[in-house]
Amino acid sequence: MDFVTLGGNLLGTIPLGDIVLYLTPFNLFLFAVLLGFTLLIALSKPETQIEATMHTLNNTEVKVGPKEFKQRRFLSIICGLASAGAMITGDLFNFTLFMALVGILNIGIVSAVKQTSVLNSAFNYGLIAMMCSLPLFGGASIILAATGTLSLAVLSQMPASPMVVFGAVLMLIGILGESGVAPFFASKAEMFRTAGSPFIVIIHLSSLFIIVRAVEILLLVLW
Amino acid sequence: MRIGVLWNKLADPKNIPRLFAFSLGIILIIGLIVPMALNPDQLYVRPAPQEQIDEGLAIAPYDRGGEVLSQPGIINPQYPDNAASLGMITGYMSPLAQWISSISPYFGTSIYSSPGGLVDEILYYTRGFDTILESSILMMSFIIASWLSVNYTMNRKNDESEIREDVKKAISDSTKVAREVKANDAKARAKQLRRDN
Amino acid sequence: MVFIPPYVPDAFLSMYLPAIYAGLIVGFIGTMAIALKREEIHILILTDIVGLAMIFVVSAVGTDLAEALILPGLVVELAETLAISEILLTREMRKIEQNPRRNLQKTSSMFPQPFALNMEILNTAPNFIALVLIGYGIFLTGFTGGAVAGGGIVFYALSKKARGLPVLMLDGIAGVSGIAWCLWILGFLLFFVAPQYWLLSLFLAACGLLLKVASKVGLIGLLMREDFDKE
Repeated sequence: MDFVTLGGNLLGTIPLGDIVLYLTPFNLFLFAVLLGFTLLIALSKPETQIEATMHTLNNTEVKVGPKEFKQRRFLSIICGLASAGAMITGDLFNFTLFMALVGILNIGIVSAVKQTSVLNSAFNYGLIAMMCSLPLFGGASIILAATGTLSLAVLSQMPASPMVVFGAVLMLIGILGESGVAPFFASKAEMFRTAGSPFIVIIHLSSLFIIVRAVEILLLVLW
Repeated sequence: MRIGVLWNKLADPKNIPRLFAFSLGIILIIGLIVPMALNPDQLYVRPAPQEQIDEGLAIAPYDRGGEVLSQPGIINPQYPDNAASLGMITGYMSPLAQWISSISPYFGTSIYSSPGGLVDEILYYTRGFDTILESSILMMSFIIASWLSVNYTMNRKNDESEIREDVKKAISDSTKVAREVKANDAKARAKQLRRDN
Repeated sequence: MVFIPPYVPDAFLSMYLPAIYAGLIVGFIGTMAIALKREEIHILILTDIVGLAMIFVVSAVGTDLAEALILPGLVVELAETLAISEILLTREMRKIEQNPRRNLQKTSSMFPQPFALNMEILNTAPNFIALVLIGYGIFLTGFTGGAVAGGGIVFYALSKKARGLPVLMLDGIAGVSGIAWCLWILGFLLFFVAPQYWLLSLFLAACGLLLKVASKVGLIGLLMREDFDKE
């Protein structure tokens, strides 16, 4: 399948050497939504949670300290920008690198919290993110070996051989792990059980958008 | 086993990396039965191993033609039209690198750690965006790790006793050094005296 | 004189299958080891084997492009190890902080402990070796140069600490890294906006990367000395 069938008419390209960014209505829409959300995050303040205290009748506030807030906001903005970039990239390897960047930023956003359960799931998600470098980069390079190109525009015109299908399956499991889709959801879902809502939500949003884009890319490669 | 037990196991973050590793391993093993072959029509093809070395080129195995600052080297990227000064970096070598390559037949093996050359062209120019992302990944993980260590794991600004101990250690070390210097001085003087006599 | 052949030479074509099978098998061994292990620190170390398998699979392609693609893969793996091990450390320290009396957990099989390091070389010739490393790093430029020069800075910081001298804490060193990164982005954009200035862009990129990586590796050294010799 080519770009026109999936994303609508090609509005233009941003050529950066071998890596060409494609602007179709579909990709531009995803891009704009993510940029808008990132802007909202840059302007907003984190929420505060109220928790009931054990054995007494008091409540405790779970607040985000000013230092932690600054780091978290910075990482969330970069995470928004990175997922926006992944929406318009036109190169297979470039997309996997964007995914790896989003993965490490997701860990970073929750790294400063005090709850050990959140840190525990962040660590476990980090292990998956590290393992994902094999299926993501390996899958992309198997597709490169089978077709001789990484550009999605060229790949979309090529018929899929069994080797390309295998590369795509490898990439798929990498995407599943990195964006925390079932059956690997638990480690990522537990990560955002902490205060500081708009920043935490970007973890969720970036994986949602990336999975949409990944489906498009897999369709481009396979059909 | 009931399916509920299975779901409960899946909800524990600790089991997820291991489940993921297991399914990844299964897919990797399935790869052994998939027919695989390298497509000979590739981008950025390189010559056969040892070919350039047998021909005695100065910067083998990374010689792709071209002259410094005048003639571009030969590479075949995906979109040659997008890179206007294509091949110039491949042909470029800094003066120092030129001098070393003129006296040593082995400079080619380390060409990609000097400005210019083939790998720099790919890394900075035709696929420069990849490298930018890659270094951003490095930067982000440094930010995460250093923020944690400065603010939490290695923060000892409040540990007065340790700072005091460190100062004590520094003082005792420097007195030790001074004593050693003194002893050496005395020894040398004694030697000199003996020789003089 | 043919500098590049039109098609991939036979040597690489015949090497592809052994190389990729080796990669798949190494990956299988690594992932199965992770699936069977229970200790978290072991899993963290075993993920490196999976990363190694990734390098096998990428490099099996055997073109210049594959060679350039190995670098991102390698760096991503390294960067994630750095961040995730720090998170593991934080988690264990938070657990101890919240409940100091509790016994250490069996599954993690690690607990934060001070890092002691006693090497003769730290006392004998630190300045000279650091200078040589930094000089050589500047000659190399780029990633490799940054790593070598950064190694020099780490070594300098370590040796000063080993001799008990105070180290000047450079808060600005992180800023250097950020500015160098911007230099490089500028160089990258210049490549496409003004292709005739490619030499300037090349040096912006190479030197920006040198400064960036060197200052980052140096930062590790300065962080490490906080923990160094703490017994």
